[in-house]
Amino acid sequence: MTLSHFQALLIFALVVSAVFALITKNEPREQLRYGIFVFLSFLAVALAVGWIMYPLPL
Amino acid sequence: MEQINEELESTPRAQPIAVRPMNMAATLAICSGGWLVPGLSHILIGRWIRGLIFAACVLLMFAAGIGMHGKLYDLDFQEPLHIFAFIANVGAGLPYLVAERLDMGIGMMTAPSYDYGTTYLWVCGLLNYLIVLDAFDIAQGRRP
Repeated sequence: MTLSHFQALLIFALVVSAVFALITKNEPREQLRYGIFVFLSFLAVALAVGWIMYPLPL
Repeated sequence: MEQINEELESTPRAQPIAVRPMNMAATLAICSGGWLVPGLSHILIGRWIRGLIFAACVLLMFAAGIGMHGKLYDLDFQEPLHIFAFIANVGAGLPYLVAERLDMGIGMMTAPSYDYGTTYLWVCGLLNYLIVLDAFDIAQGRRP
């Protein structure tokens, strides 16, 4: 299976946010909102950390 | 206007059906089943949709981890830090046991996706622990 880093990140964020939303919230609307929030947070933090690390000589 | 508001407020909202607390033996049996087969504990409690979503999430993640040449860890006391990886891996239940039996989790370090695959395998096991704990709470009547 060949996935790019971003695709792997997307699948990871989608699965984990779905499980977190279903575990922590009871109402379907709350679950949806929280799931979207966690999903977008994963993406935003990963992209932000990626750009912060970009100039580092690794 | 007030009448309409009163009507709206008095409209019964759909509440999740509370499960009557089960005895501890039944709860532990359900949780064991949920550990072995991801999502099964919720299905046994009667939360079909939630159980199927959990099963799909964990199994998808496990299959993706194996497909990305991730490594499954054995119980190895000579490498103490590997015990944590083993605990995370074994959370996936039967898929872990089957994959270990079939030598599917050898892990190819030269593959570009090796790290991602290994992380997927850890996280799907840890998610399954959370799912089992959620089923425990529901079975004990602590969650609707």
